[in-house]
Order: sequence, then C-alpha cells, then structure tokens
Amino acid sequence: MSERYSRQTLFPPIGNEGQERIRSKHVLIVGAGALGSGNAETMTRAGIGTLTIIDRDYVEASNLQRQQLYTESDVAEKLPKAAAAEKRLKRINSDVEIHSVIGDATPEKLEELVEGVDLILDSTDNFETRMAINDISQKYEIPWIYGACVGSFGMSLTIIPGRTPCLNCLLKKIPIQGMTCDTGGIIAPAVQMVIAHQAAETLKILAEDWDAVRTEMVSFDLWRNQYTSMKVSKAKDEGCLSCGKERTYPYLQTENMMKSTVLCGRDTVQIRPPKELEIQLSELVKQLKSLGYQVKGNPYLLSVDMEEQRLVIFKDGRALIHGTKNLTQAKSIYQRLMG
Amino acid sequence: MNKIMFFAHLRDHVGEESVTKDASGKTIAELKQLLSEEYGLKLDTVMAAVNEEFASDDEVIQDGDTVAFIPPVSGG
Repeated sequence: MSERYSRQTLFPPIGNEGQERIRSKHVLIVGAGALGSGNAETMTRAGIGTLTIIDRDYVEASNLQRQQLYTESDVAEKLPKAAAAEKRLKRINSDVEIHSVIGDATPEKLEELVEGVDLILDSTDNFETRMAINDISQKYEIPWIYGACVGSFGMSLTIIPGRTPCLNCLLKKIPIQGMTCDTGGIIAPAVQMVIAHQAAETLKILAEDWDAVRTEMVSFDLWRNQYTSMKVSKAKDEGCLSCGKERTYPYLQTENMMKSTVLCGRDTVQIRPPKELEIQLSELVKQLKSLGYQVKGNPYLLSVDMEEQRLVIFKDGRALIHGTKNLTQAKSIYQRLMG
Repeated sequence: MNKIMFFAHLRDHVGEESVTKDASGKTIAELKQLLSEEYGLKLDTVMAAVNEEFASDDEVIQDGDTVAFIPPVSGG
C-alpha cells in the first residue's frame, strides 16, 4: 500500500486490509453542489477505486462560498459542475477513476449509472431525486447515505437494504420542497458537518466495518448548538412500497415525472424535454444571434441573456431559466427559443 | 409534563428550542394538530421522535416523555 494513504492505514479500524477494500470500491455521488463537491473530494483523497458523479447544473459565483471544488475561473467559463469537478478531482488523485456525467439524475439515468456501484452518496437538493435513489438502493441492494442541510442545520442517515428502514418508511410521502430551502440560506460549516457524517459512514461501509455503521438519524444545528440522534429501527414498515414485502418502487415509475421543476431555493425553473435531444450548440448560437439575442456558449451549454431572465441550454435539450419561479412563463420562454 | 423540542425552521418559528406541555395520553398526530393550531406550524411531513426514538403518528405519548420534531431538509 502506498505511502500516500499511510495516515489512513495507520488508523486501526481501516488498516491495510480496509484500505485495499476501499481501493476496490465504486461510489456514485448524486449531485455536485456543496455536499457533492465535499464528498467527492474526501472520497478521491481516501483512494476509492472509481467515482461517478452526476450533476445538472453549472458553476455560478454564489456557489463559491461553500462548494469547495470550484474556482472563479470555473464561474467565468460557466463550466458544468460535473466537468469542473472531474478536472479538479483528477488533479487531486490520479489513482482514482473519475467519471463525470452532465445531466439530470432521473430514475432511468440512475438505473444506468448504478451498475457495479457499491454505495450511493446522496448530495442532491431535492426529495424527488432522493426518493428515486431510495428505490434504486432497495432494488439493487446498494447502501446509500442521506445527507442534507439548510441554514446552520443538517442531518444524515445511513440506509442499508435488508438491515435498516428506508427513507420511504420514515417519510411516507415527499416533504414539501419550499418548507426550508427558500428561506434559510446556508453556511459552509453546516455543509462540512454533513459531509463529515456522510463520508465517515461511507468509509466504514467501503472498509466493510459493518458493526461501526451508525444506526441513528443524526441532526444538528451548529448555530443554535443543538445536536440529536434518533433511533430509527422502529420505523421499519413491512408495508412500505419501497422496501416492504410487496414493493412497487413507486419513485421509479417515470410516467408521472415532472418535465419542469422549480429549483430548490433559487429563482430558477428547469425544463426537461420528454426525450433527450442532441443539440448542435454552435448552430443554435448562430441562429439565436441572428435573431438579435445576447448569446454566449462553450462546448457544453449556451446562455441567452434576456431583460429579466437568463436561459441556459445544455446539449441534451435541458434548460435552466433563471429569474422566474413561474413554470408556465419558463416553458413559454423555452418554447419561444427552442421551437 | 412533556418537553417538546423543535429543530431547524420550526425552532425559529416557535421562537424557542423547547416548550413544556402536558401531552400525555395524546398521540403524535394529536399533538401535531394542537401545535399547528397554537403556532401555525405545518407538521404533516415532519418527523417525530419520542425519547430519541422514531415515533409514528399513532404513537401515544406518556408522562415525562421528551418529544422532538425534526423536519427533513432538502438542501445540499
């Protein structure tokens, strides 16, 4: 085992044997925002075998306060987060195979990505995706680690199929999005605390130290100095549609999937075409410029500045419309530009 | 009597980390209803713990139990 990981192998619960196990594992990180960048950096430095990271967004100035992988030049280039993350992670540890995916973590996409994956690290910002991760975890028997934060508050729970209750046992239905995310802002230490909990659990599972895995849901508020653990074993529900005896994996049924979504905590709507497109971005830039629009582009996306809104279109036809929370308005802007 | 604790935005809404109330004999669902009337809280998707253990809506609160309301958050 190389000198590089000596401080980790000197830690008795890991040792050389644990490190070899960690080295052989594949982790999927869903989301490359605050939690995703921290989790990805920690796992890359820890020397896992393969890391897959998926994200639908690109780097903006307001990310830099807490999203530790990104720099001002990523903002200037409007790089997709997944691409910027891959670039940085490869410079941190060239031993780790890094796969980045620019796109939406839909149930179909997750099912495709999960092949050969040993653990899923939740770093998303919405419950629609988390419930899909939860169903996939049960269907393919892959542990996942829930993590989330808002303001100075954060929480984490380790979910192991067959051993623990699942997120659907605990929540029963998708919590209302707007409940917390629009109001509180976020401080970086809350992010880092969630990452610390998620990453420690990940290392335990990758090193196969199952007895060390935390069985409580942990939550904390760093500003108000609250810290609590909640035992969850009683929540296990045999009638649960995600992990019970007659499971249907309700969050993998895609016919009801939203095509437009107001993004958590932001004045932004995402529009996703029913089928993935293959847009020739350079052609579209020319076309929109000839119509008098202010357009900027890079190989991954183009952005159109309008009076009140800004529209960003990715190669697969997905668009983010900034400056609105109105789904109808966002759709009409999208259709106006994309036909 | 029972100590009722609030986390995250619930704490800000109530203005205190905890309140003392007699909730013994009530179910979690009944206590949620009571608190939503008293403080205008929306608690239907909030998790409840009794003495640091997950509690479903039909669990009955005993005298001396500590009840905590923990909202699942989504930011990341």
